[in-house]
Amino acid sequence: MRSGTLNRGAGSLLLSVLALGLAGCWTAPVANVQPKGEARLIQSGIRVESVKDGVTVKSISADQRFIVLNFSGATATFKPGPQVANFYQVRAGDKVQATVAQELAIYVLKNGQAPGAGGKPEAIKADAKVLMVDPSYRLLTLQYPNGQAETFKVGLDVKLLEMESGDSVVVRPLELIALQVERP
Amino acid sequence: MGLILAGQLPLSAWAQITPSQADQIRSAIANRVEAETILGGDYGLGGGTYKSTGNSNHTTEISISKFGGSGDVGDPQPLGDLGIGWQPRLQGSMGYVDAKNDFNAGLLKNDRSESRTFAIQFGGGARFWLNENLSVAPTFMGMYGHTSNEYTARSAFMTANLPQARQLGLVDWNASTWTLRPALDLQYVCTWDRTIFTLSSDPTYYHTKSFGSSSPNVSINGNSRTWANKFDVDVPLGGQLYDHELRTGGYLSRTQLYGDIKSGLNTGYLNEVHGRLVLDFLSQLWKVQWIGIGGSYFWAGNFTGWSAGADVSFRF
Repeated sequence: MRSGTLNRGAGSLLLSVLALGLAGCWTAPVANVQPKGEARLIQSGIRVESVKDGVTVKSISADQRFIVLNFSGATATFKPGPQVANFYQVRAGDKVQATVAQELAIYVLKNGQAPGAGGKPEAIKADAKVLMVDPSYRLLTLQYPNGQAETFKVGLDVKLLEMESGDSVVVRPLELIALQVERP
Repeated sequence: MGLILAGQLPLSAWAQITPSQADQIRSAIANRVEAETILGGDYGLGGGTYKSTGNSNHTTEISISKFGGSGDVGDPQPLGDLGIGWQPRLQGSMGYVDAKNDFNAGLLKNDRSESRTFAIQFGGGARFWLNENLSVAPTFMGMYGHTSNEYTARSAFMTANLPQARQLGLVDWNASTWTLRPALDLQYVCTWDRTIFTLSSDPTYYHTKSFGSSSPNVSINGNSRTWANKFDVDVPLGGQLYDHELRTGGYLSRTQLYGDIKSGLNTGYLNEVHGRLVLDFLSQLWKVQWIGIGGSYFWAGNFTGWSAGADVSFRF
């Protein structure tokens, strides 16, 4: 083959790109959309772990062993796990890096409601929305009300193929796994 | 380079190398330097061990050690209101080529010509997403290469002609080169269930020029073109090892060669089949996508090759 063939081939390739490109447009992922299907609970009890930087300690109770942390524009209360050795050294107002375990429940909501036990509609207060789903690599990206996005690696049992952008997420704090003071 | 010498020198040329033969050899050397620099330094072509096939007069063995790759940085961002997403793309590679040519028959019997090439390239561009599946990435790279030749003369002919061959810049030379590499990567990605299929097509152009050599007779100024077409499959296996999911997959690629690289390697194409078994680390260990093992088999018009080793992929 001669170079002319390559040039003709590359030209055909570019035309194909343009033709295919015109067939549809790229759109940035958006969490603020209404997902398809009936209102329902897709899955609950999804355990995720994440490392959160720049977390503010709102309050801490050494006696009752709980800590209130502020991150992603919201506060959440965690019980420290037995492995958190420096729990008693942390003070309210500290900036910390916290490794936390949380539990997610994913819903399709209609007017903020989904069928509860017995099929009666129940109001659900969502903490975040699904922004992106990558079932192949098991990545679930959530967007919080303050616009911040966070990606979780979820377990093999999570029904990612049933989830999509716009699904509502209820986040329940489970446990504080590790704590590192960034600055007092 | 010995392969070139063997091809250009007639069996009756016991006296000396003629000017016409020297010109032909120099042209072939330039093509070969260009080809080896691209083979060694370019991120798009795989490293491995290659052996010539189908020629009993000489044996050629090329060993390519290479480290590099390419990646799109971050998530795509909207490009104004055009309905196009874009993200920066970085590409880089460095490699070392050791090409040994042993002569088994003819005028140069028992001689060995060995050339070593070090090449390093870096560049980038941008990937433009035309829809969720289709993207195109124009890129531009620069490459530095240095090739040296060492000739071991044992035959009567080359023992007698070695000083002249050195003077003419046909053996025991070295040259430094720069290469400009504009390219386009057209990619179509789709998923079925959890399996990812990627089709890509990469027309690439190389312009190579020497800027320093041991002999004024060694000068490189050439153009090469390649067109790689690849089909990649990435399959999650659903089982875990050390808390990381096992994935398998691989690709089949065919690279058409044009211009000097075609002459330098004496083949018009290079095929590769690659398989891998890896552990998924995406979003678990820095920017690592997977770590595992992989292997490739290469075949072309006049040589075959293989490579095996660690298979590591990053996603930035």
